[in-house]
Amino acid sequence: MPQSPAFRPLAFRGALIPAVVLALGAPAAVAVQSTAALAADEAEDAATDDGPAAGTLMLRGQGIAESLPAVRLGTDMDVTVTGQVARVRVTQAFRNTSGKWMEAHYLYPLPQDGAVDSLKMVVGQRVIVGHVQPREKARETYEAAKASGRKAGLVEQQRPNMFTTMVANVGPGETVLIAIEYQAPVTQANGTFSLRLPLVVGPRYTPPHTLTSAPAVEDANAVTAAPVLDPKVGSGLNPTSISVRLAPGFDVANLISRYHKVNITGPLDDRTVRLAESVPADRDFVLEWRSASADPTLGLFAQHTDKGDFVMASVTPPADLSNLPTPPREMVFVIDNSGSMGGDSMDEAKASLIHALGTLRPQDHFNVIRFDDTMTRLFDHSVAATPDQVALAKRFAESLEARGGTEMLPALKAALEDAGTGGGADALRQIVFLTDGEISNEREMMAAIGADGGRSHVFMVGIGSAPNDYLMERMSTFGGGVYTHVGTPAEVAAKMMPLIDVLSHPAMRDLSVRVEGGTLDLTPARLPDVYAGRPLVLVGRTGHLAGTLTVSGTIGGKRWERRVDLASALPSPAIEKLWAHRRITDIEADRALGQMEDAQADAEVERIGMESGLVTSRTSLVAVDETPSRPAGARLTREELPINLPAGWDFDTLFGHDAVQSRVGSDDLSAMQAQALDLPQTATGFVGMVGKGLALLLAGLAGFALLLRRRTA
Amino acid sequence: MIGLARVKEAARGRGLLVLLLAGLCLAGAAETGRGLYVPAKAMAAQVLLERAFERSLANHTPQRPWAWADMTPLARLSVPRLGAARVVLDSGSGQAMAFGPTLLPGGAAFGKEGTAVVAAHRDTHFRFLRDVHKGDLITVQTREGLERRYRVTGADVVRWDRYAVPDAGAGERLDLVTCYPFDAVRHGPWRYVLHAERISS
Repeated sequence: MPQSPAFRPLAFRGALIPAVVLALGAPAAVAVQSTAALAADEAEDAATDDGPAAGTLMLRGQGIAESLPAVRLGTDMDVTVTGQVARVRVTQAFRNTSGKWMEAHYLYPLPQDGAVDSLKMVVGQRVIVGHVQPREKARETYEAAKASGRKAGLVEQQRPNMFTTMVANVGPGETVLIAIEYQAPVTQANGTFSLRLPLVVGPRYTPPHTLTSAPAVEDANAVTAAPVLDPKVGSGLNPTSISVRLAPGFDVANLISRYHKVNITGPLDDRTVRLAESVPADRDFVLEWRSASADPTLGLFAQHTDKGDFVMASVTPPADLSNLPTPPREMVFVIDNSGSMGGDSMDEAKASLIHALGTLRPQDHFNVIRFDDTMTRLFDHSVAATPDQVALAKRFAESLEARGGTEMLPALKAALEDAGTGGGADALRQIVFLTDGEISNEREMMAAIGADGGRSHVFMVGIGSAPNDYLMERMSTFGGGVYTHVGTPAEVAAKMMPLIDVLSHPAMRDLSVRVEGGTLDLTPARLPDVYAGRPLVLVGRTGHLAGTLTVSGTIGGKRWERRVDLASALPSPAIEKLWAHRRITDIEADRALGQMEDAQADAEVERIGMESGLVTSRTSLVAVDETPSRPAGARLTREELPINLPAGWDFDTLFGHDAVQSRVGSDDLSAMQAQALDLPQTATGFVGMVGKGLALLLAGLAGFALLLRRRTA
Repeated sequence: MIGLARVKEAARGRGLLVLLLAGLCLAGAAETGRGLYVPAKAMAAQVLLERAFERSLANHTPQRPWAWADMTPLARLSVPRLGAARVVLDSGSGQAMAFGPTLLPGGAAFGKEGTAVVAAHRDTHFRFLRDVHKGDLITVQTREGLERRYRVTGADVVRWDRYAVPDAGAGERLDLVTCYPFDAVRHGPWRYVLHAERISS
């Protein structure tokens, strides 16, 4: 049914007042859960009472904007790529089109590995430079300036890939520019370099069970603050222009902008790429290039500072050309069919899944799990990939419809459950997870993989025009897999092919990293799984850069080793901040795995943020104008700037019931008359009576038992 | 002698406790029985109603399922895909609903323009509603021998006091109503409404 109601039996909990019923109810609930097999409807039984109960909106707190905002935003991105690092200046122009004094809040994405280190606010002819302060202190500074009528800008991090800019006291008709700068490493796979600039935050689903404390609620509010503009009102909101200067240090070939039309000028080793026209911020911008020569120069860069030397080395194992047979595999496919997948995303996910199912061999075992706020396992346990079973799975995939919330945790846990039956103990256990990742409880996912990962490898397939790349990157790194992004229905085959290739070759074995003739404090602290053709990027810090770095392992049955002379590194001004960002990522990993207490992790992140001048979860950039502008007595109006719905998303599926109903009322059934009718109470509640009765009975019997025991004693 | 008094007192206390516990057990057994009686009654009634409905079909007159019943079977509603069949009653009272789904007097009659609204308990007769999908076929046979086929067009969750049915002019429609959520133990304000419209046979 299309407008699947989002209510769940909240009432259940309230009825369990006698403690004994709890004891009775728990095994019953478990029994229900374990029977959740083939039929999708059975899985509805298993839906716990944690389900969304807030109303018909599946997205808690995510509003809909029915009109254009008073403050209009235009964004310009100026990117310079040198070596393997991109430096990006994002200029956000806040233009107040109303006659009131305004405060604007804007929620936007940045690359998950981006480190924000600079904020400038431009008011008229004046430029005010921002400073890094601990998060709460920065907020106080901003609020104080706001109250006193001075212009102020604040940049806060909500997630490593999600930030908020706040700007206060923008006068009627005035424009205030906020310019932030960040740097992010360029990613590389199979010789293709790519730069991803996310432009819009997809509406996020907050699992109700995470809302246990005031800070948790505040956090959920922060990531769902931006209302989504109703596409009926307009779609060209938040125009963005992008220009990229590409000077990677080699001649560029195969330069492609994946999803936007661009103009390219300049010599081969210093390309300039510009968007053909400014675009609404509704999907990721992705630029890809290769080296014109067969073997690109080695990725080794260093920076000398007063604090020490920093070095980045990216070492790529050769493509696995071995003819070794692929070991038997157990593959568990997990597909997200929640409401946010409505539209193109669902088609992409289905097509990707069907493509992957087609590559199964008879000696492989497999299973398919689908989830929204409920979950269905196609088979109780992984089964042999016979043609019949694969055909059944394909039909199952075809039948999926996007609806409901995004309860990802139960699906992940079910996928990680390793019964050991799928092809034996030495089978390669792989989980392929297809989702847009639009959830707010990313940490829970990492913790689950950390706790129950076992021998499973988790491969993320990010679906849609603006997936949550932070979740994707972290889950695949924690899970020892890789992250693949499928952005349009047309590129399913092209993007799935390299993934299928990775899936049919095991990761490098016995991976080790050594430093000889010097010391190096390396990140990441936990070495990720490395696959053929995909680089291992190490960033290190040392007192004095010297010696050699050796990376070795076994790939395709052959021993492989690569030595790097650290002294030969090319200079780059970006490595220190890259290192700081990597350190924070390591700390967050420790936190997610329960190896570091919250307070300690927060303190450490704050220390690094302050030391390196970066925006982190614990530090913000704030800029305050010294001269007051808003006259005393003039009121300040706050506005959460609306965002576009990511391209290809379906507004009605996402916002469900309300949106659909209002349309039914206005269009096809407008001529229909309606007559009000009260509906009777239609529940006998006999289950409750039986439960209560049994509880009383049990309490009585327990009392007797106790009495008897005492007497005999 | 203090010891003896204490023993005596303890014995009296124990007797009281035994009585209390026995009471507790009894009350529990009674409540369990009362609870189990509900689905038993609902099932038994449907069997009797089915017989009465067959008689009504043959005689073309309303037939009481048992002598003291204050309602009569009106129609047989079935969802062929699920193999579910229920006899619908003509009295929309809360008592009648213990025995079977009832046609609400506020809605239209079967076979008339407008929306016929049938309500039943979510934990007995209309438990199967959760398994009904968009596109499913619902058939209704009235005791006059009238046959109607409906196609499910969707479902909504509404508050009990925020519901309105399309009346005549929108063609023959059928709404099946039950409480929501299906697994709740307590009563709540929400109702699950399954919409269906007539298709020509």
